[in-house]
Amino acid sequence: MKLSKFVFTKKFYPEKNLIEFEGSLISLHCHHFNCGLLKGLEELKGIDGLNLFVKTTEEVYYHFFSDYLKRHPEFETIEDKLQVASEMYYAFGYGLLDLSNLTENGGIAKARSSYYVTAWLAKYGRRYSPVCYFTCGFIAGILEVIFNKSLGTYRVKEINCLIVGDDYCKFEVEKI
Amino acid sequence: MAIDAQKIISIYSSGELPRDQKGIIGIFGIYAAYNYNEFFYKVVSRAIMQVSEEEAEKIEAQLYQAVLDCAYYTFHGARTSMTWKQEVSPMIKTPEDEVEALIAFTNVFGIGYLEIVELVPGEKLVTRVSNAYDPARYLEEYGPQPKGRCYMFRACTASYMDLVYGPRFPKGIGTFKCEEVKCRSMGHPYCEFVATRKER
Repeated sequence: MKLSKFVFTKKFYPEKNLIEFEGSLISLHCHHFNCGLLKGLEELKGIDGLNLFVKTTEEVYYHFFSDYLKRHPEFETIEDKLQVASEMYYAFGYGLLDLSNLTENGGIAKARSSYYVTAWLAKYGRRYSPVCYFTCGFIAGILEVIFNKSLGTYRVKEINCLIVGDDYCKFEVEKI
Repeated sequence: MAIDAQKIISIYSSGELPRDQKGIIGIFGIYAAYNYNEFFYKVVSRAIMQVSEEEAEKIEAQLYQAVLDCAYYTFHGARTSMTWKQEVSPMIKTPEDEVEALIAFTNVFGIGYLEIVELVPGEKLVTRVSNAYDPARYLEEYGPQPKGRCYMFRACTASYMDLVYGPRFPKGIGTFKCEEVKCRSMGHPYCEFVATRKER
């Protein structure tokens, strides 16, 4: 992956233990916590915890990616915006995500590596259903920003996943 | 105590984290990723606010355990690393120094600044944080809370005691318990945590 064109500003405030990424607060968490949270939601009774996780991810990235693009009006083309989203995903540590084939109508995104696959394998071992719920929400949120759509416009489904033995994770994006 | 907390913070907050060829961050025996603080607040708060009290308690217990695992293994990975042995171990003369060093190390992850209020060797640790992200958001969105919401710091506080005063790693996890006795989400001016030994 080329990481030359886009630069993300990250600042650490040692006296407060706060990390600012392009003006918003972020923090670093390990696979025990990230997967523990996902598993807890998956096992919740009474609500669809995984849907809550995906929709919240979509909403959060809709908000923050929108802020990011407002700070960077130099990124004008759809191609640039898709690429910077992919590199933000990489910068946060989630792996290699190819968004280049997505259009306003949706399409297919692919990931050759996935944080949640690596993390889940390390924490809980093999599972037999896709695990990249974070990526589904992320893709929906950033696409809605890039194509100037409202929240809930896109539905993303992971149809192949590295964790079940597929060669890569494949996300089908559908405009609702 | 001879711990230079600022030096530890400076060491562990400088530079980029190591990644493999696929972009995954692996360090201290754990896989790490960044996310917006608002993400964690929203996911957790919405889950516990939408389910029954019984289910909310269940997920709170799971979260506490997830953070305890996270802290116990991450901090152990850090304290057995070469950097720690070279830069931090020379400062550590007593178990209490090690607790202080681990807390300093915690203060690089972007979750708010944790301080020691009281440490009774082998028995009790009281910590405090004034700028944790989540409690202010709970207060803003849901009003005063009936109990503390800082699962992260509560489990971290127990983990320092588990690592330093519990049975040798990895058998010490869960030796101590921790309560959040004050929380900004409840209207207090800061969040405070008290870790004590579980009854034997």
